[in-house]
Amino acid sequence: MFFKQVRRNAAKNRKGNGLFFGSLVISIVAFYTLLSLGEQDVMRYLATVESDAVRKLMMLLPVVYMVSLFFVFFLVYFACRYQTDRRRRELGMYLMLGMRRSRLFFMLFCETLWSSLLSLLIGLPIALFLTEGISLATAKVVGIGIIGHRFSLSPYGLLWTVCGFVLVQLLSMAIICARLAKTQPADLFGSGDTKKQTVMSATASTLFFAAGLLLLLIAYYLGIAQMRTLRLSVLLSLVACGILGTFLLYRGLGGFLGARIRRKSPGALGLQTFTARQVQENVLSQHQSLAVSSLLLLMALACISYGISMGFGRSDDSRSVDFSLFDEEQQIDAILEKDDIRGMVKDAYPLYLSMVKDDYYFGGEKTFDTQKLADALRTIDGSDNMIENLHLEYIIAESSYNRILKNIGKEELHLEGKQAALCSSLARDGDFGTILEGALKKGVSIGIDGKDYGILPTLYYHNVVADRAITLYMALIVPDDLYQTLARNQEPYCRNLSLSDEVVESMGLMQAVQKMNSLLTASGIEYDSFLGGIGRNLFYTVAASYLTIYLGILFWLIANTVIGLNYLISQRQTKGRYETLAILGADTDSMCRSVKKQIGIYFSLVLCVALVSSAAAIYTMFTSFTKLPLGASISTVAALSAAALAFFGAVEAVYIYIVKRTAVREIKDSAAEQRDL
Amino acid sequence: MNIKNEILQVESLTKVYGKGNNRTMALNSITFHVLEGEFLGIMGASGSGKTTLLNCIATMRKPTSGKVILRGKDISGFCGKDLAGYRGQEIGYLFQEFELLDNLTARENITLPLALHGVTEKKAEPRIQEIASLLDISDVLEKFPAQMSGGQKQRVAAARALISDPDIILADEPTGSLDSKNSKILMDKLSAVNKEQHKTIMMVTHDANAASYCSRILFIQDGQIFHELRRNVQMESTKDFYRRIVTVMAQLGGGSANVL
Repeated sequence: MFFKQVRRNAAKNRKGNGLFFGSLVISIVAFYTLLSLGEQDVMRYLATVESDAVRKLMMLLPVVYMVSLFFVFFLVYFACRYQTDRRRRELGMYLMLGMRRSRLFFMLFCETLWSSLLSLLIGLPIALFLTEGISLATAKVVGIGIIGHRFSLSPYGLLWTVCGFVLVQLLSMAIICARLAKTQPADLFGSGDTKKQTVMSATASTLFFAAGLLLLLIAYYLGIAQMRTLRLSVLLSLVACGILGTFLLYRGLGGFLGARIRRKSPGALGLQTFTARQVQENVLSQHQSLAVSSLLLLMALACISYGISMGFGRSDDSRSVDFSLFDEEQQIDAILEKDDIRGMVKDAYPLYLSMVKDDYYFGGEKTFDTQKLADALRTIDGSDNMIENLHLEYIIAESSYNRILKNIGKEELHLEGKQAALCSSLARDGDFGTILEGALKKGVSIGIDGKDYGILPTLYYHNVVADRAITLYMALIVPDDLYQTLARNQEPYCRNLSLSDEVVESMGLMQAVQKMNSLLTASGIEYDSFLGGIGRNLFYTVAASYLTIYLGILFWLIANTVIGLNYLISQRQTKGRYETLAILGADTDSMCRSVKKQIGIYFSLVLCVALVSSAAAIYTMFTSFTKLPLGASISTVAALSAAALAFFGAVEAVYIYIVKRTAVREIKDSAAEQRDL
Repeated sequence: MNIKNEILQVESLTKVYGKGNNRTMALNSITFHVLEGEFLGIMGASGSGKTTLLNCIATMRKPTSGKVILRGKDISGFCGKDLAGYRGQEIGYLFQEFELLDNLTARENITLPLALHGVTEKKAEPRIQEIASLLDISDVLEKFPAQMSGGQKQRVAAARALISDPDIILADEPTGSLDSKNSKILMDKLSAVNKEQHKTIMMVTHDANAASYCSRILFIQDGQIFHELRRNVQMESTKDFYRRIVTVMAQLGGGSANVL
């Protein structure tokens, strides 16, 4: 009998509240997706080439899991609270019929466990399906093709998903039961403690609002204008101003809305004043939740943008040279003549890269005159460090660099007369490339042997060898005849090798590189491969983009659920008002319209602040610590950002629609109940 | 008092709750008429059907059969827009628990029925001032319910019921949540509204004191009108009428055999 009751109650809960059940399923999917990361194709692949880095990431996962657990707890707690709030009268009735509190709580716990079981039965298959999808999609996005995709079930992920989920559910229920234990049955029969309209003085609320706005503006200023320096003090002040500003803004918003209502109410018609007062009441009583939700949305947007730029911005700039062979010319030639190797090679060419002769070296008699470059750099902020370290010791022959450009389908260099170009593999990230390119755009020349060589305004950044670990701080690309004059070593630095496009297409890049790897290893030649470089690069791409997008989506869902459920709880608590309105002559349609408008405004209040703040945050991010790589296609990133924003808008719209539908259904049910009695 | 025509006719009104064996007849074919400007009281024991009667007239409950005719229109069949138009415009309702909206000021609560029917607060300002001074609530117009006493809340609720100048005011135990001092103030004010503004009031009450302000009282038992008391307003003081009410109540308590 008892368990039949439990099952029946749980079924009623699920039917009556899809939002609640949906939240549970989402939390399961979130947990499993994170915990099964180690089983994903990309991670399995990376573990073979960068086992140390992957091990470090796997050590980080429990921390992210704990953070998720903490936030998901809020999601589940609000969902459970909303659920029990709906059933106050029923719970009061059980108590009045003589059910002991302990038994009532036991019943609630059993219902929770039963719901958990069903949520797991639905959520886990969805999670499995999703992780498989993500696994395939990530593999494609990062350009490794499908390297023997296999269905993966992570027992570790499953175990911790179930444990975490049940723990969070039971903990939420325990807190709710503790609250219920203090509530008298008579209070349970009421519609819950509606918050009295607190009246804050106009001056106080204006002060809070103005202070909040000011602090937010300071935070935006710090982000946009001061974060380039990346000083810890600036970062801490920014975070403090941002958080405090958001809280104060919402604290004062209620009074601000009140003043607006007073101004508008003499001309208001229908339920306008009521609608506005409902929103104001929610803002007054829930300003902390609003601030938290807004900050969560800000974090979500920032994380997702960061994830997208990391994941997509890097993907197409990574490959310029597949292999670099270091050996005697004849030996290399002999190896390249082998049939199985020759069939896979598109191009093989010597790379002429050398240090300059002693005379031209730093401190020598004929050191390159970089005064004009230093002057141009001086006009750009943040270049002090660069001017101090300005030295040019490496040169590359134009023909070699052109082969690299040709192989990746870029336009070749045409150095005419006294021209040269600058190349730096540091230019991909951070301010270095932007500052240097900024200086080049101003028209710079470098003096060599008393003659001025004009530097092309474009900064070149492609890797000149296969191993990305080798970086060129700054090198001068010079015409081949000048190279011969300046180079200390006239022999090629190495022989670069590019894989044939057909082979890459048919086998997938990774498999092609792996095959060539094994052939070269078998021949005993000394070489560097794109694989070693890409492993690390890929690892950071995947780790950064995956984890930040994951956290972003999690924050986003939680923020939305907290806003939605908070509104629905308050509507339930003020249910009696709608009955009064009906008696005063409000028809059901106008009440439903009012409710929809309230939800729209309520969500907008959170979204507006979050969107403005995140615009500032994203701008700050891309102008300070995160740079879009130079090679990243701006149009691709912009299109992706637009698509992500559209997706964000669409999901928000769906969420708002679900909350509206739930709220309207409650109003309609209540109206029908009243009338049909 | 200005008694002219019939304003409300209740014809064979029946309300049955439940189905099959669980049927309870709350109203059993009740018929009575209310005259314009009358102050009618409805009294009866708990479960006698008096609140159901008031709720059927207020369109808060749908009658099982019978008619409620207000100024010649059968309102029991109203739905949708007609129903919303009727509520708040043609009737004013006064609740035992005031039912003010906590998050609206007194002024906003009072003007809500007007706003619902397309009249702005600005337009109604003279009327608001008139009613507020009649009910002595001018000082609390800008306050929220949480900042008012029970008596003030009920007078604000009364102002809300009166603001759209309805044909009839229905009051369900309006003194039920007030102390005796505030009950007297409220009844004096309602009586003044009845006399000075010639408003028809129909009030359900348990309280003989409150009922003594009425000009006629219907006693209900088991869903039927059981007895009627009329007061000679010119000749009989509220005190004398009160005594008669108490006598009837005592006799009702002893069963139908003892009734006059």
